[in-house]
Amino acid sequence: MTACSNAILKIENLQVSVANAAQTPVVRGLSYTLEKGKVLAVVGESGCGKSLHALSILRILPPGVQITGGHIIYGEKDILQLPAEELRQLRGHKIAMVFQDPMTSLNPIRTIGKQLTETILAHQKCSKLRAQARAIRLLKKVGIPDARKRMKEYPFQFSGGQRQRIMIAMALCLNPDILIADEPTTALDVTIQAQILELIKKLQMQRDMSAVFITHNLAIVSNVADEVLVLYGGYCMEKARCSELFAHPLHPYTKGLLGSLLSLSGEKPQRLPAIEGYPPAPGTPEKGCPFAPRCPQAMEKCFAQLPPLSEQAGHQVRCWLQEKNA
Amino acid sequence: MIKYIFRRLLLLPLVVLGVTFLLFFLTQRLSPEMRASLYIKDPRQMGSLEEVIEKYGLRDNLFKQYGRWLGSAVSGDLGYSQSANMPVAQAIKEYLPATVQLAIVTIVLVVFFGVWFGVVSAVKKDKWQDHLARFISVGGFSLPIFVLGLLLLMLFYGKLGWFPPGGYSLSTDVAIHLPNFHHYTGFLLIDSLLNGNIRIFIDVLRHLFLPALTLCIGSFALMVRVMRSSMLEELNKDYVRTARAKGLPEHAVIYRHAGKNAIIPVITLAGIQFIRLLGGTVIVETIFDYPGIGRFGVTAAQQLDIAGIMGFSLMVAVLFVLGNLFSDILYTAVDPRIKLND
Ligand SMILES: Nc1ncnc2c1ncn2[C@@H]1O[C@H](COP(=O)(O)OP(=O)(O)O)[C@@H](O)[C@H]1O
Ligand code: SF4
Ligand SMILES: [Mg+2]
Repeated sequence: MTACSNAILKIENLQVSVANAAQTPVVRGLSYTLEKGKVLAVVGESGCGKSLHALSILRILPPGVQITGGHIIYGEKDILQLPAEELRQLRGHKIAMVFQDPMTSLNPIRTIGKQLTETILAHQKCSKLRAQARAIRLLKKVGIPDARKRMKEYPFQFSGGQRQRIMIAMALCLNPDILIADEPTTALDVTIQAQILELIKKLQMQRDMSAVFITHNLAIVSNVADEVLVLYGGYCMEKARCSELFAHPLHPYTKGLLGSLLSLSGEKPQRLPAIEGYPPAPGTPEKGCPFAPRCPQAMEKCFAQLPPLSEQAGHQVRCWLQEKNA
Repeated sequence: MIKYIFRRLLLLPLVVLGVTFLLFFLTQRLSPEMRASLYIKDPRQMGSLEEVIEKYGLRDNLFKQYGRWLGSAVSGDLGYSQSANMPVAQAIKEYLPATVQLAIVTIVLVVFFGVWFGVVSAVKKDKWQDHLARFISVGGFSLPIFVLGLLLLMLFYGKLGWFPPGGYSLSTDVAIHLPNFHHYTGFLLIDSLLNGNIRIFIDVLRHLFLPALTLCIGSFALMVRVMRSSMLEELNKDYVRTARAKGLPEHAVIYRHAGKNAIIPVITLAGIQFIRLLGGTVIVETIFDYPGIGRFGVTAAQQLDIAGIMGFSLMVAVLFVLGNLFSDILYTAVDPRIKLND
């Protein structure tokens, strides 16, 4: 791995907790570096903290969920310490986000033209007309035919796939450095999923943009990602270059994910049938490895002590099996 | 849309028939003698009771009598109001604008303050602003309107003398009946301005203050509550998160996005409240001696002025349908997903 000079976003020891009496942690000490022009995929079963980690980057967590520790460094500044106005200037301008459900992510009673142009006008001083022209160009680029006419239409007049295209146009309208895509295809029909994925990948490459791509579906990762981070119960379990991870998975959980992939190609598993059991509910009191109750190779030690995240040649893994070998 | 309005207007005669027939039926519970005696001013005329019954056909069957009333009503003749001492149609023309004026001022205040308090309450949920807004609105809600009205009357008129009861002062009464005062719309607030007479405008406004405030406090609580819960619901929605994520300033997120969505249920409520105000200003108009249609209705009922009662109910029924239609149309203006054509 090259030195961090190329890093555009650096997450250090991020802690996110539900603000209840127990302060239930949902993201636990997550760290990674996103390189310029690269795509990092964050993979894991539903409920493992993928979305909350992403929302933390823009500090748009829902009420009741808090960042309780860590740093998120962008451009030599810690996003978590930014004053409100600087934070606003960052959102949608330098770091943009595409959400999971395009049916609910657009304002239902506002024309998509207005929703696009207001994004541009929130960050740049230019005339409304120029903002509109730019919005139309973007709509064409993401594949909305008749863009000029459709600017005056409302979200309900578009299909799910089209709405996600509009969300992508909205995210890209200020040429952000970083795109965060939180399961952008999960809510769509299978046939449309591939198109949207391709669109994101194409635009990312054209603009040399960095991206955090979140998914519970390992099958689509190999096509988009340069690097993969496997999340489980809020912990980073494994992180490696994409090709490396597919060729030499080290963690039993990753192996399980890959196994279910082989047995179930084409389907989109919400849960992973090849791995017995369920992911831990947040707040389950636990000392050891969170995967231990489901792990086919679990040892006594696994239930007693959390394995550390160790790294070898850029390949990180959190498992006692790997500790022995080292 | 046009088709929808047309079909709703077709409904109008049905509602009017229903309401007026029901009321007519009720007035027929009085014996013909009792009804006939209402026409008689002088006890010495008592002997002619039978004549009156004969003349007006008061013994005819219900449907025949109702048909007669309906026939003349359709031709514009609503009969003569004994209690107001003028034809019913003229009484409505004279008293209705004052009530509509009162209801409009009230509903504008209710919507403005209700939405404002509701938004603040939701955005500052569980902070002192929220508690204050809820305290004020619940306080107003739990007081019966006549108690509230009397309290305000005692304070602002009795003690402070700031705001008088009644529709307007004597000087205004004189001025508006002079030949050089043109009644363009029937609404004194507008007519006074069109006549360029600010003094009358201010006088009317001052007289409007107490009844409007009383009605306002009564309707305000529900408005705040609906706006607050609607706003809380919207603030949790995905599109609000999107609006924040794209870097809109917080006021744009709250008002332009969440607020506009949250106001949709408020429009329905405002429509209902407006209609209720038109027919239900009775108590307030009585307390403040405000010369509106409510006071006319009460007087007519007290004096068993059947023509007056029928005219009043006819008018309320018409307003009811039109008010509902208006709020439906307003709805489509705010929410593009609703189309009024099926
Ligand atoms: N608004 C919330 N309030 C409380 N707990 C939440 C909230 N949102 C998510 N959680 C919990 O945090 C955990 C991680 O959620 P999330 O990041 O959405 O998972 P995913 O990996 O599916 O995106 C979940 O177990 C969920 O129960
Ligand atoms: S630490 Fe133990 S339980 Fe956890 S994944 Fe490794 S072997 Fe399985
Ligand atoms: Mg998620």
